[in-house]
Amino acid sequence: MATTPKSTKSVKINLHAATSNEADEASAVVKRSVMKPPAEGLNPKTVKAVSDGSEAVPGFKLRAAAAELSAEAFKAPDTSKLSDIGEASFGPAAETVHGPDDRVRITATNTYPWRVHASLLITAADNSQWIGTGWFIGPRTLVTAGHVVYIKNSGVAGRDGWVRRIQVMPGRNGSTLPYGSVTATSFKSVTGWTGSGNAEYDYGVIILPTPLGNSTGWLGFGNFSDADLRASTGNISGYPGDKPSGTQWYDARRIASVSARKVYYDIDTAGGQSGSAVYRIASGNRYGFAVHAYGGGSTNSGTRINAQVYANLLAWKV
Amino acid sequence: MSQAALLVRGRVVDARGRPVAGARLMWHSAPVDLPDLAALSGADGGFVLTVPVTGPYRLACHSDANGQTIVDVSVAADGSQLTLHLPR
Repeated sequence: MATTPKSTKSVKINLHAATSNEADEASAVVKRSVMKPPAEGLNPKTVKAVSDGSEAVPGFKLRAAAAELSAEAFKAPDTSKLSDIGEASFGPAAETVHGPDDRVRITATNTYPWRVHASLLITAADNSQWIGTGWFIGPRTLVTAGHVVYIKNSGVAGRDGWVRRIQVMPGRNGSTLPYGSVTATSFKSVTGWTGSGNAEYDYGVIILPTPLGNSTGWLGFGNFSDADLRASTGNISGYPGDKPSGTQWYDARRIASVSARKVYYDIDTAGGQSGSAVYRIASGNRYGFAVHAYGGGSTNSGTRINAQVYANLLAWKV
Repeated sequence: MSQAALLVRGRVVDARGRPVAGARLMWHSAPVDLPDLAALSGADGGFVLTVPVTGPYRLACHSDANGQTIVDVSVAADGSQLTLHLPR
């Protein structure tokens, strides 16, 4: 039986279309690579960075890039012995702290740039609680991972969707909150994350009810070329859960590789650091270029601030 | 090897078997990249975590008051259930 072929119409979906737990807003698209400058806030007491692109932190020394950042060599199993079937199928488990733990604790969290990083206490839709990290890009705007503001594919009834609230604690130092704490209920992300759950679109922002960023200052952010990123030292400071509660920890390393939407690096992180800025220091200024999101085997990774991400951050910055 | 979300359910208890609330749980190692979030155990010490694939994982649990533990978890197709015993 003859059938009339159905005409198909290709629909291009913009995965960077902004979405919010509040009223829908259109995202501005800017087709140019620019940087937004940082601001140091009130009485910053900023310490100059080191010439190698890392921060001058007591006890920290930038380690040379590891030669083995490409995929680890696979060794065939010894057939004279039986090993765990799980290891034979899936290979060695991946850790997020790679080799010696290079992280150093930051205690001067009431000074710039450390105070732009905020400890986050996240309450999901099912009232489960999580910890993450965010960073200021404006008086009321913090950048974080998409999965910090919107839970996808949890498999737990009532958990998926926009989180209920996030308690934001800038420059937290253990139990000390030098800039207090504010609860946010306004979040933004993109349909590539909220709809598709695509890890390459895993970014979002938290909008505060008060302009706390005017006190803490904020990082700049930019869309940088592949060459610039590959030549950069990536810096990450955040709030890992494997350290004493609410303490800020820093690490830095040269960037391993980049793709159109992701940046890969061997900078040590742990659970709780989702949303941290991955930033570079250029001419004494600090610019975020990725949002840390995933812990992996040989490298960790973040969502790259490419032209589309940059445009959305610019539109969301208040 | 993606499949429906697999659930790892459990409780965190202290050296006396009492539930520990607010313990921080995170994947120390996994067969795939995972989001770098950390979960907090509930008032009853309970938690439910999600992983995308079966296989060998290592779960770390940290509590300022009760210490820390790291356990190997072999996640099967029907998820996993465990009790984490903190040393204090």
